[in-house]
Amino acid sequence: MEYFRKMRGTTQSPPRVRSSEMLWSWIGAFLGMSLMGLVQSIWLDSQGQTLLIASFGATSVLVYGAVRSPLAQPRNVFGGHVLSALVGVAAWNILGAWPWLAAAVAVATAIVLMHLTKTLHPPGGATALNAVIGGEAVHTLGFWYVLTPVAFGVVLLLCVAVLVNNIPHNRRYPEFWF
Amino acid sequence: MKDQCGLLDLTEDDVLEAMRSMQGYVDITPGTFREIYALAYEMALTRVRSMGQARDIMSSPVHSLQLGMSALEAAHILARHGISGAPVVTAQSKICGVVSEKDFLRHMGLAGTASFMAVIAASLDTQGCISTDLRTLLIDDIMTAPPVTALPETTLADISAIFTERVINRLPICDADGYLLGIVTRTDLVASLCWR
Repeated sequence: MEYFRKMRGTTQSPPRVRSSEMLWSWIGAFLGMSLMGLVQSIWLDSQGQTLLIASFGATSVLVYGAVRSPLAQPRNVFGGHVLSALVGVAAWNILGAWPWLAAAVAVATAIVLMHLTKTLHPPGGATALNAVIGGEAVHTLGFWYVLTPVAFGVVLLLCVAVLVNNIPHNRRYPEFWF
Repeated sequence: MKDQCGLLDLTEDDVLEAMRSMQGYVDITPGTFREIYALAYEMALTRVRSMGQARDIMSSPVHSLQLGMSALEAAHILARHGISGAPVVTAQSKICGVVSEKDFLRHMGLAGTASFMAVIAASLDTQGCISTDLRTLLIDDIMTAPPVTALPETTLADISAIFTERVINRLPICDADGYLLGIVTRTDLVASLCWR
């Protein structure tokens, strides 16, 4: 009975944020993604490299939309993505013959590793998964995937976050660096 | 019994209101925040309590009674000082017992927990005097011995436990050799929680 009772939930949703918060979240995310898109089209496209991976959209939600969250702090953003990328590439290299298994192992192991290192960052799970299901383009990168797009992209997003999130007087970022 | 001393019971609305007044998205549910608050409060309470020791709050010197004193004399002393009990010491100032209202009541044939009204009722019911026996007794005969005592280093948390477990109201504080140093009453303990 307790098992079913727990499914009903116990509390309510946190309140909606102010309009100014929404505006600055939009500005931050817009600038962050713009910068990445521009870097990609001006510089990396000519080298056949890609910078925009889906998990950066998720990271933007945190570093521009929930700036206080422990999950959104630089330690988590950088550590979470880099560790997860390593795990993802390794999983594909070892278990590539069974893609379903490689994907499951990559995501599950990434979560544990992020917990272990206190770098939990939800988009990291997407980064790990992308290393497995990202197709030929990602697979040929091998461990270079960790450096570009992952580490490079994360640094760009963090730079924009630090610069933009500290402009409004009632917003600050980060809560801690490491 | 749950300890709620000083704990402001936060409602979910309080937490929601606070979250609204803060900048940005706070990624915690009101329920979880209340849980953290309650646990942290408990931790703080434990920490504060373990800091305090008997020596910090005990009354000293103590009104004590001498072994060999008559029960009547003891009653006069207690009445004069407006206290309901006191430790009993030997000629060498070593503690050997505690005398309180409860001990008197028991020797009057009443329960230790009897109220003043119970004493009046018993007196009116009885032919003669219910305290006649007491006139001939010494405190040696009526005191509770051996006494429950504590050291000056005993923490307030431990003292609180002793009061509850032994169902007593005062705790003489002695050094390791049994020399009486002070006394901690329930009143002292209550006062010490919020007032230093």
